[in-house]
Amino acid sequence: MERYWNEEIECASREDMKKLQDERLVAQVKHVYENVKYYRDLMDEKGVKPEDIKSTEDLHKLPFLSKADLREAYPYGLLAKPLSDCVRIHATSGTTGKRVVAFYTQNDVDMWEDCVARAITAAGGTEDDVVQVAYGYGLFTGGMGIHGGSHKRGCLTLPMSSGNTERQIQFMRDLGATILCCTPSYAAYIGETLHDMGLTPDDIQLKAGIFGAEPWTEEMRRSIEKSLGIKAFDIYGLTESSGPGVAFECSEQTGMHINEDNFIPEIIDPETGEVLPEGEVGELVFTSITKEAFPLLRYRTRDLCVLSRKKCSCGRTLIKMAKPMGRSDDMMIIRGVNVFPSQIETVLIEQGYSPNYLIEVDRVNNTDTLDISVEMNPDQFSDKVKDMQKQERDLAEAIKAMLGINPKVHLVSPKSITRSEGKAVRVIDKRNLHD
Amino acid sequence: MSNVRQISVFVENKPGKLAEAMKLLKSSKINIRALALADTKDFGILRIIVNDTEKTVDILKDASYAVTVTEVVAISIPDSAGQLSRVLDILGENGVNLEYLYAFIGKSDRSVSFVLRVDDNNSAADALTDAGIIQLTENDIAEM
Repeated sequence: MERYWNEEIECASREDMKKLQDERLVAQVKHVYENVKYYRDLMDEKGVKPEDIKSTEDLHKLPFLSKADLREAYPYGLLAKPLSDCVRIHATSGTTGKRVVAFYTQNDVDMWEDCVARAITAAGGTEDDVVQVAYGYGLFTGGMGIHGGSHKRGCLTLPMSSGNTERQIQFMRDLGATILCCTPSYAAYIGETLHDMGLTPDDIQLKAGIFGAEPWTEEMRRSIEKSLGIKAFDIYGLTESSGPGVAFECSEQTGMHINEDNFIPEIIDPETGEVLPEGEVGELVFTSITKEAFPLLRYRTRDLCVLSRKKCSCGRTLIKMAKPMGRSDDMMIIRGVNVFPSQIETVLIEQGYSPNYLIEVDRVNNTDTLDISVEMNPDQFSDKVKDMQKQERDLAEAIKAMLGINPKVHLVSPKSITRSEGKAVRVIDKRNLHD
Repeated sequence: MSNVRQISVFVENKPGKLAEAMKLLKSSKINIRALALADTKDFGILRIIVNDTEKTVDILKDASYAVTVTEVVAISIPDSAGQLSRVLDILGENGVNLEYLYAFIGKSDRSVSFVLRVDDNNSAADALTDAGIIQLTENDIAEM
């Protein structure tokens, strides 16, 4: 029996949803044009007036915003409300340059928490659940965002933050946590630690996990589900839009429903900016139609994915986005071939290796090199060198079959690759150093 | 006829990695009776025979090392020209394939000891016994 947090919205007819989106979009464009000089200039430059936007069909007329715009407008350039109306600030980790700061009014926080409450409900969460929040608390949206949504849903909320993994497991056991929320790489680490402590999924009461904030594969999902004895749900979001909860997974586990009453998605060709039809892979673009303080219109996420309006067995009519193949930032071009870390992860898990790995890309004599350090599987350890070398070779061949390029595979000791308690760092691209 | 248990340990081919493993054994007062290291560019496989196999395996596994125990044949032969060649001939004539071997310090300076890793321990042991070659038990090695 599927439960909904806001059935009227989550199961609305397409006509009703479009009507709501049209109204909200028109009002939002007016709000932004009047209050955000930075975006008004972009619109003027393009010759678009707020009156030109009458419905979602006109969305394509609006200019895009990119991460570069956010950096240029840092910190207040895209703020649409006086600071006295704002109650919260969050920021991105700033790993790819200057931080992005986002502002929230109380309504913005309420909307965000409502989106997260939908996600928790879709994962089976009720008042009877204990939600363990093992995302980092702080500027990062993960901890506070899930925390607020869990409160709103009425779950008993355990604000653990990330880290101190044995204590996470102790609290999980002692207080009977039923839903775990963290990054997928941290969930995998918690699962590994559970087993190291001599415990099994039977020793904990977890039934579900809501994992996001970094790309993860279907293979990783199955591996986490097995190690923790749970059903694992994906959640999507970005600080620029609010945080986790922009989209969430239902029991069908075939993509995430976008909370399109708040965020209108588009898929565009990342080269030309042209809007692509449903079903085609392209860059995901979001327009926030209810955010007050930091309302980004046509924000380019750099996430590559597909949208689908196929009927979902859960009964929700919200449009679905496939699990992003990766952020276009994560994509490496190695010897002219597009490579995502997630492709390598898929092969590793299929071949029985742990999802802990390190990819190093370098350029030697004008040729790109791809080195992948993988933790050897202790169950496959042999005293014969030739057996071990064969394992390296077999893995390199499987990766080559996936990517089309030859990697160098290095087997390293079990548990020697640093475990992540937040977003995992899996790629070191040394080529940038030479530029 | 009892075969001897050899412990193999996966050790990365990086400075200090072997020392880490050795320190672990030292702190538990494990005495290594025989040792050989096979290495590749990325990793080495440390093969040891110790005075307390169970304890050593536990210590290494607790420290997250990949460990495997295999049975090997240990022999003691006179320290003179042609003795090893004779052993290898015996194995070859009996269709026993040798994966690797290594020497270790024996009981006396007139004999030398070897660990033989073969594909068929029983055939090797029978053939060596028939040829009158002294085979060592795990106890023999522990007490050396």
